[in-house]
Amino acid sequence: MSDPVPVHDIDPAAASHEGHARPEGRVFDIGYQRYDGPREGRARGRIAVFKDGVRTALGFGRGGRAKILPWSFIALLVFIGFILAMVAGAAFRFAGPEAAEGVPSHSDFYGIASIILFVFAAVVGPELLCPDRRDGVINLYLVRPITATDYIVGRWAAFTAVTLGVALLPQFVLLIGRMMGTPDPVAYLSDHWNDVPKILASGAAIAVYTSTLALLVASFTTRRAYASVFLVGLFIVSTPFTAGLSQELDGALGQWVSMFNLSNIPVHVNDLIFGDVSDITDAAPARELGSSLLFGWWALWVLVPGWLLWIRYRKLTP
Amino acid sequence: MTERPTAETGAPHPAPPLLVACDLVKRYGSVVALDGVSFAIHDGITGILGENGAGKSTAIKIFLGLLQPTSGSALVLGEDASQSTRVRARLGYMPEHDCLPSTVSAAEFLTHMAEVGGLPPSRARTRAADTLRHAGLFEERYRAVGGYSTGMKQRVKLAQALVHDPKMIFLDEPTAGLDPAGREEMLDLVRKTHREFGISILFSSHLMSDVERTCDRIVVLQGGRLVQSGEVRDFTAETRSVFVEVDTNRERLVQELERRGVRVTADAGGFRVEGPDESLYDDVRDAVVDADAPLRRLAPRRRALAELFQGDPTETGEMIGAALPDEGDESPEATP
Repeated sequence: MSDPVPVHDIDPAAASHEGHARPEGRVFDIGYQRYDGPREGRARGRIAVFKDGVRTALGFGRGGRAKILPWSFIALLVFIGFILAMVAGAAFRFAGPEAAEGVPSHSDFYGIASIILFVFAAVVGPELLCPDRRDGVINLYLVRPITATDYIVGRWAAFTAVTLGVALLPQFVLLIGRMMGTPDPVAYLSDHWNDVPKILASGAAIAVYTSTLALLVASFTTRRAYASVFLVGLFIVSTPFTAGLSQELDGALGQWVSMFNLSNIPVHVNDLIFGDVSDITDAAPARELGSSLLFGWWALWVLVPGWLLWIRYRKLTP
Repeated sequence: MTERPTAETGAPHPAPPLLVACDLVKRYGSVVALDGVSFAIHDGITGILGENGAGKSTAIKIFLGLLQPTSGSALVLGEDASQSTRVRARLGYMPEHDCLPSTVSAAEFLTHMAEVGGLPPSRARTRAADTLRHAGLFEERYRAVGGYSTGMKQRVKLAQALVHDPKMIFLDEPTAGLDPAGREEMLDLVRKTHREFGISILFSSHLMSDVERTCDRIVVLQGGRLVQSGEVRDFTAETRSVFVEVDTNRERLVQELERRGVRVTADAGGFRVEGPDESLYDDVRDAVVDADAPLRRLAPRRRALAELFQGDPTETGEMIGAALPDEGDESPEATP
């Protein structure tokens, strides 16, 4: 926008003629004016949708109540990472390096904390989509220089980025905690540096999966609570149901039933990345399936919900 | 098939029209919302007028690209808004229904909407503050929108339509839900937006008086068809009849008037008197004297926009207020 336009200049000559040494002054119209500044079009619109999605997910720019839920989950996950680091540090100090290696670490973290991440996605994810449709804000987006695809991709990217951050933060707390718990932190880091890309990859796997499913469910209702309850139920109910049934069924059928344990799908990928089996997937018959099948199953559960989500929003515009 | 009216609002314009609807049809299943509507709209404030269900909102949504027409075309600034993000950057829209998030402040929301409209963040913040000042909400801009009154929410809706400085804005029932004072303020704001900043406005309403007081031109829809279009002043021109209102002796006055050969029709608490020529005023004067009827009002009668919805817009003795509920549709020009 242009600077305020001076609507009236006070003539210093006239002022001095009156015998007063007045400074030159200007009266500005600070109200609405036409805009002649840069317009960044669709690219700026996409960035704005992404940025607003991140702010919405974390409760920024909203009241205190909007921050309680996301930050409670973040605090809980960081606390778990911190506790695991403390336990590892204590084990190292009092029982030696071998004992510290036995304490759950990066490869086990998502096995332990994935359910908290799922509930985080279930509770926070719908906030990015449901209010826009319930309040009718979506129409305001669609008459601006972005498309429905820009909107939903921006929202998905924003929530995936937030979920990724929430997934990675405790892992890095754990990494730093374990590093500082040893007498030689630099040596620990040089021994475990290859954990960092694995942490990033497994964090991305769980973030993409949970955010896509959460937003797909949220796209079917304007009520955030309905979406959250459904998602929590889906993740929590699918676990004992598929676990129990897969134990009853032997062989390939049991393995395939186990594949429908929605909580385990990204954890299997985590196991593939770290080359280790975490506690919660250890008992799942699906772990015996091939790595390409496990990875392909995860990809299917990302791509199909992602495609459905896109289709649902694409329909909003002609 | 009957020939449908095609219209260009206003006098001939050198500039190309901002909006062009060409044989626009929109069907929802068996329901026809727009039935072959064609018109062009130029710079200014244009009212799109019609009863509820006439097709006003549908037409606006088609122009904005929110709906696809069943057939025909709708061009805004020379382009189809459903296909062009570039043209949408120059349009603003104030929907009829709720469109505001309840948990964020007006300043936050407008800044975001300006950015979505393509403005850089620092400019968006300034624009949001300036636009809220224009809308009269500067002092309240950091309060959550959910705590605003209906009138304030309407102002925020208008402000978000303006924040990215569009060339044209679409206002869908902008006075809906407002009390008379709020309505007047909103209409002032709309007029100011065009007259001071040159932003063209398409103003949809079913309230005749709002359109009459605000718009330069009108497009009238009824049952999805174009009924009329043109300059508001042409529709509200003086008629050849005179409106007469007296305190007492009404029946005697009617007898005196009829004895003089003029036609008398009951009209909004008074009479509408029609005569062959200018001698009508002399006849009315003499009749009032002879009937000993204390005169309350004598005025040339203007046509009300509401009469556009009646069969013969110049020759009607009944108000149309029942069909289009509103105050003050009848409009005698002056009171004594």
